Amino acid sequence: MEDPVMLLNYAIAFFSLFTVIFFLLLFLRHKDEYNVPPKRTGWRPTVSIVIPAYNESEYIRESLQTVVNLDYPKDKLEIIVVDDGSIDNTFDIAKSFGNKGVKVLRKENGGKGAALNYGIEKATGELVATMDADSYLTPGTLLDLLPLFDEEKVAAVTPAVKIRPSGSIIKEVQRVEYLMILFSRKLLSYIDCVPVTPGPFSIFRRKVLLELGGFDEKNLVEDQEIALRMQANHYKIRSSMTADVYTEPPKSFGEFMTQRVRWQRGGLRNYWKYRFLIKPEYGDFGMFFVPLNYLTIMAFFLLLGLLIYHTVSMPSYVQYIFIEALGMSVGMFTIIGAFVVMVTMFWLYVTVRSFDNEKVKLRYVGLFMILYWYFMVCYNVLTLWKELTRAKAHW
Amino acid sequence: MERKISYPLYLTAFLLSVAVFAIGVYIGTLLDNANLAGLSERVESLSQRSTSVQLLLLAEGDSSAFCPVFRSELSEIDADIERIGYELSYLEEKKQAYDPELKKQYFLLEAGSYMLSKRVSEVCGDDTILLLYFYSNEDCESCQEQGVDILAFRDELAADGRTMRIYSFDGDLGSPVAEALVEHHGIDTYPSVVVNDVRHSGYADSDALSGLVANAG
Repeated sequence: MEDPVMLLNYAIAFFSLFTVIFFLLLFLRHKDEYNVPPKRTGWRPTVSIVIPAYNESEYIRESLQTVVNLDYPKDKLEIIVVDDGSIDNTFDIAKSFGNKGVKVLRKENGGKGAALNYGIEKATGELVATMDADSYLTPGTLLDLLPLFDEEKVAAVTPAVKIRPSGSIIKEVQRVEYLMILFSRKLLSYIDCVPVTPGPFSIFRRKVLLELGGFDEKNLVEDQEIALRMQANHYKIRSSMTADVYTEPPKSFGEFMTQRVRWQRGGLRNYWKYRFLIKPEYGDFGMFFVPLNYLTIMAFFLLLGLLIYHTVSMPSYVQYIFIEALGMSVGMFTIIGAFVVMVTMFWLYVTVRSFDNEKVKLRYVGLFMILYWYFMVCYNVLTLWKELTRAKAHW
Repeated sequence: MERKISYPLYLTAFLLSVAVFAIGVYIGTLLDNANLAGLSERVESLSQRSTSVQLLLLAEGDSSAFCPVFRSELSEIDADIERIGYELSYLEEKKQAYDPELKKQYFLLEAGSYMLSKRVSEVCGDDTILLLYFYSNEDCESCQEQGVDILAFRDELAADGRTMRIYSFDGDLGSPVAEALVEHHGIDTYPSVVVNDVRHSGYADSDALSGLVANAG
C-alpha cells in the first residue's frame, strides 16, 4: 500500500507545484497590463440588458436604479426585466421603472435559462447583457467593457464581479474568494481560457447567442455552459478587472453550501459534456484548462483521501513521540507544501493589492486561507454524494 | 480557426516545477539523514551509558550495593531505547528513511540492555517482567497489531503497579544479535513473544500475554 500512496503524494505535490508556478508565470508575463483599464472608444452599439427576476423584491429596486444610472446614450440602451412568475411584488417594483425606459415582461416560472432566452428573443440590441436582479452596476460599467470587444471573434466580455464590504464573515470570505477568481479569470483570458460568463453581468454579441441557440434552460450553471459552448465554437471571451459589478452573495453558510453544490454539480456535468474539447484544435483551453479542471477535482479527492489515510494509519506508538514525530515529518512534502502556500499567499497579496477601490481587511484574508479548505471539503463531498446517489438537482 | 497552445509557458512551468521538486527532494533527504544521524548519536551515547552499568556490575565485592543506581540507570536507558525504537520505526514507515546498519546497532544496544536488565533482576531480586518481541517487516500481517497489543498490555500492568520492559527485534534484518536471540529462543514464526524465557509462537492476545507473564512469574 505504501508505494502507491507515496506515488500519489508525489503526483499531487508535483501537480500543485506546476499549477501555482504556471499561474505565477502568467502573472509575471502580464503584470504591467492586467489591471490597466482599456481605453474607452467611441463605439456605441445598441445594448439590451436582460434581467431575469424571480422573487427579487429585496434587491431589484436598487439593481434597476444602477441600470438606469448607466453612463450610456439612452436611445442605445434597452432594459428588459423578465419576471419569471414571481409571487412577491418583483413585477410591481420593476413596473415602477417604466417611466425610466424599463420594459417588464412576465412569464410562467420556468427557470433562469428560460427567462434569459425569453428576454433575448425580445431584445433588439446588437449586444445583449444578461444581469442578475440582485446585482449592481457602476455608471461606467458598460463603457469600460465595450473596448474589450476588440475583434469579431470576441463573443462575450465579463466584468469584475465583486461583493460589497459588509462585515459579515461568510460574505467577507466570499469577497476575498471573488477577488481571487476575478484575478485568475483575467490571467486566463490572456490564453483564451475564460470558462464562464458570470450571471451577475456579462455582455454577449446577440447574433452569436442566437447562432448558438441561447442558454441551456435545463442547465444548473447556464452561465458556465454558454461559455463552454462558445469555447467549443472557437469564440473568444474577454475579461475585465476594472469594470465593476457588485452582487449579493449567499448570506448564510447553508445558502452558501446550496449555491456551491449547485455550481459544482453543474460544473462536473458541463465539463463531462464538453470533454471532447481536450484536443489540440481547442488550443490552451482544450489542452490545459479542461484537463486542469479534471485534475483539480481528482487531486482534491485524492488529497482528502490521503489525509484521512495518513491520519488513520498513524501508528499507535506515535503518541509516545508526538513532538519528535512532528519534527521528523518535516521533509520533502513540507518544503513543496511551504512553497505552494507561499505562492498562494503571494497570490492573495497581489490580488488584494490589485484593486485600488477594494479595501480588504487582513483578518478576512486570513480567515479565507484557514476556512476555505474546510468549505471546499464540505461542498465537494456533498457534491460527490449527491451525484453518486443521483439526488434531484435544484437550480 | 487556429488556436494557440502556449508551449513555452508550459515548458517553463514544467522545468521550474521539476527544479523546485528536486530541491524539495534534496532538502527532504538531507533532513531525513540528519534525523538518522541524530538517532545514531543517541544510540552511541546510550551504548556508553549501558557499558558503565556493566562495569559497575563487574565491580568486585557485592554489586547489589549498586542496585538503586542500576534500577534508575536501566529505567532511563530502556525508556530512551524505546523512544529511539519508535523514532526509527516512524522514519522507516512514514518517511521511507532507513539505515540497516543503525538498526543493527540499535538491536545490539537493545540486546545488551535486555541482558543487563536480566542480570540486574537476578542481582537485585527485582520482579521486572522482561518481554522479547520478535517481529518481521516482511510477510507478517499481525505484527503491527501485536506491537499495539503489547504496548496496551504493558499499560495494563503499569496500572497494577508492575513494570514490564519490551525489547523488540526484527528477525529478518540480518542483525547477528537478533539472529542469535532467534536461535536461542527457537523462534520459527512471527510474531513471537518470550517472557522470562517462556515462548509464545504466533500472535498473542491479551489473555495469552497474561498467561505468559503468569507462567514466567
